[in-house]
Amino acid sequence: MKTERNLTNLAVAMFVLNLSILSFYSLICVTTTFRICDSLSAHDFLTSVRQIPRYPWQMPVQSLGLYAVLCGVSFFKLFRPIEHFPLRVFVCAAEIALCAGIIVSLNFYYSGVALLVLADLVHYMRSNRMRLCFIVILSLMFAFGRYEIVEQFTNSIAFDAYLGYYNPMIQSCFTGLESLMVCLNIILFVLYMILLFTGQKEENARIRKLNEQLNQANDQLRDYAVNMERMTQMRERNRLAREIHDTLGHTLTGIIMGADAGLALMDVAPEESRKRIQIVAQSARDGLTDVRRSIKALRPDALEHSSLAEALEGMIENFRLTTSAQIAYDQEAGTLNLDSDEEDALYRAVQEGLTNAVRHGRADRISVRVTRTGDLVTVSIRDNGIGCAKLEEGFGLRHMRERLNMLGGTLSYGNLDSGSQNGYTGFFITVGLPIRNKKGE
Amino acid sequence: MKKRLLKRNAAALLTLMLCLFLAGCVGNQETVLTIGVYSGSYWNTPNGNSYQILDDVITLFEQSHPGVKVEYVSGIPAGDYSEWLAEQIMKGTEPDLYFVLPEDFDLLVSSGALAELDERIAGDPEVDTAVYYEPCLRSGQFQGRQYALPHESVPTIMFVNKTLLETNGIDIPGNDWTWEDFYNICAQITHVDLRQYGVYGYSWLDAMYSNGAALFSEDGRSCYLAEENVQQAIQFTKRLGELNGGYSVSVRDFDLGRVAFRPLLYSEYRAYQPYPWRVKKYSAFQWDCVTMPAGPSGSNASELRTMMLGISSRTRHEDLAWELCKLLSIDENVQRELYTHSHGISPLPAVAEDPELLLQIHHDIPEGSGFSPEMIHRIMSSAVVVPKFDAYDQAMIMVESAIQEAAGNQLGQSGMLIAQSEINIFLNKS
Repeated sequence: MKTERNLTNLAVAMFVLNLSILSFYSLICVTTTFRICDSLSAHDFLTSVRQIPRYPWQMPVQSLGLYAVLCGVSFFKLFRPIEHFPLRVFVCAAEIALCAGIIVSLNFYYSGVALLVLADLVHYMRSNRMRLCFIVILSLMFAFGRYEIVEQFTNSIAFDAYLGYYNPMIQSCFTGLESLMVCLNIILFVLYMILLFTGQKEENARIRKLNEQLNQANDQLRDYAVNMERMTQMRERNRLAREIHDTLGHTLTGIIMGADAGLALMDVAPEESRKRIQIVAQSARDGLTDVRRSIKALRPDALEHSSLAEALEGMIENFRLTTSAQIAYDQEAGTLNLDSDEEDALYRAVQEGLTNAVRHGRADRISVRVTRTGDLVTVSIRDNGIGCAKLEEGFGLRHMRERLNMLGGTLSYGNLDSGSQNGYTGFFITVGLPIRNKKGE
Repeated sequence: MKKRLLKRNAAALLTLMLCLFLAGCVGNQETVLTIGVYSGSYWNTPNGNSYQILDDVITLFEQSHPGVKVEYVSGIPAGDYSEWLAEQIMKGTEPDLYFVLPEDFDLLVSSGALAELDERIAGDPEVDTAVYYEPCLRSGQFQGRQYALPHESVPTIMFVNKTLLETNGIDIPGNDWTWEDFYNICAQITHVDLRQYGVYGYSWLDAMYSNGAALFSEDGRSCYLAEENVQQAIQFTKRLGELNGGYSVSVRDFDLGRVAFRPLLYSEYRAYQPYPWRVKKYSAFQWDCVTMPAGPSGSNASELRTMMLGISSRTRHEDLAWELCKLLSIDENVQRELYTHSHGISPLPAVAEDPELLLQIHHDIPEGSGFSPEMIHRIMSSAVVVPKFDAYDQAMIMVESAIQEAAGNQLGQSGMLIAQSEINIFLNKS
């Protein structure tokens, strides 16, 4: 920030100095012209230079006018940042053109304006290629925009011819002042460049440091996520253990004690023994109810209140609404009378498939088909997404496979070829599940 | 409430100012053409109403070009005109059209102050350069290009003291006389003890022009000092000088009627020959003018000086300036008026050689004038235009000092060759 302020101060100093130099040349040329006329030596002057001078007003008006526009453009782009790249290049080209105009309107007496513009543009454009371009153009203008070089091609009068009017003492004063200002301009330019490039080096170092900090934070976040998952598993395990301990442990203990008592009383008091066994049976039944309740606590809510077909339809509708994907759902399996664990497995498979299609495949058209051949229910999910470049079983698919394997089912998935049916070219998941209860046929 | 009133007032004021500005622009549509002119005569002769002809031309021009106003700054003496013009050029306020003095032509062309006229001349059906005397037109040329049109020319002629010649029993020479005739008359007239002399002010340059010689090439890159016909001229003037036995003839001798010949500008002849001016000068004797004597390899030619008109290269009214320039240079009526009132010779043969006009001009000259139309034709067509270039003055000084040095020692031709090569080196360096 401090560097930036210093740069601005230097730039302002350069602008002021160049204004003085421009005024210096204009003033000398104009006043000398009129002094020559007043002292009746116009004819001698013309004879010595053999060249008609430009209109006296031309140099001050043109050079200072163009300079004012140049300052305007330079400060405008400082306070109103331009985002559009071609427009930025255009502004730079305009500044270069103005610079050339100023040098020409000053009869090539002074080309230091090129340094001012160079400093300004190098600060403004950060692209190295553009910078190189500016450096080449403006350096050439600085080096070749000298009267001594273009003398043969221009028909303007040498500055020395004007100075020649004065006596040697005043002449040396003027030349001294001229070279002093020209040198000062070069010094300011060099200072500006040094400050600009050291400032940029510091900024680069700062960015590198910030990047490292960001990477560290990312690593920490990843560790945290892994820990979190582990803790969730632990909590679930504890809950299951507690549930098993509270329900099954309690019931089984009661059943064992009741059964033992029943065995012991069998011969002595058969009536009492029967009573006990009845209690055991009741206790076992209560236990089963408890177990069922525990498992139900882990089931999807939708399946709790409706059938699989309805639950799937509801989920798909919900999915359509939330993701705006087109989902074709064909239920061709008739009425399914499945056990809750089988319903769970199918429900979770469809849920996972849809989620993957949208999240990883970025699909907007998905087809879900449920068919039944004999006691095998097949669910196939296809999408038109980008598929998966590297087939790797993630957490969701592994979980699905485990769940299905427990029920004797199969899982297959992969990318679809472009020539496959229905115009789907993304990803497919096919789930096969043999059903235990054949009532629903 | 107050603010709104203020705003409305400001808007009204702004509109009013804009209207005034526009009205000013529309009202100022009259084009002003400026012309640079000197007062009096450039030719060393009295000229009472020097602006009369110009004013007439301007009136004529303004009538034929409605909406155009021609202006000039009056009161600039001919002697200050060069400096005045240079000042105007320095300040960028030079006139659109201006008179170009013969000695300024080279400077104005080489500094780029004059517009080139070749294209205009070629593109203008009203202008045919054949209507001018060739030497007059050549005065306005620089390196083969035309930069100015002639306005009025003045050749050099030879003044003859008729009274002196008659008292010595010598006939007045004809217009086709030669150096030998000239020398013989001078030899007869010259009696140093009677304070009677042959010629005053006849320089070796005058002799050179009538001997078909040129001192410098057209481009000013070579000097011909050692050439035969230049050397002849130098030797001839030396011989003439020797007649006086070392006495240097002065202008007083001439005014007192003791000198037979003197080169004179034609303008002076025009100015002082007729009444009443003849009373003012040389009233003690009868006089007339003849052509310059011809050298062995030349003719009766003399140097021609031409006042010209040039258009500024920076004018914004080039077309109008060209029209006015044409009017002043090529229009026969204007040239007739000029011929009658000024003291030069018109650059147009049709005007300069008009017998009626000549009669009118010469009617005041007692015994008539020797300048018949044929004479004027001969003088004007054979006149010499001296090429001027950047280093002319410096080179002339070198030539003069070389001649003086040669007169002192006896190196002769080889001395001249050395001097010539030295001057050539100088000319090619500058």
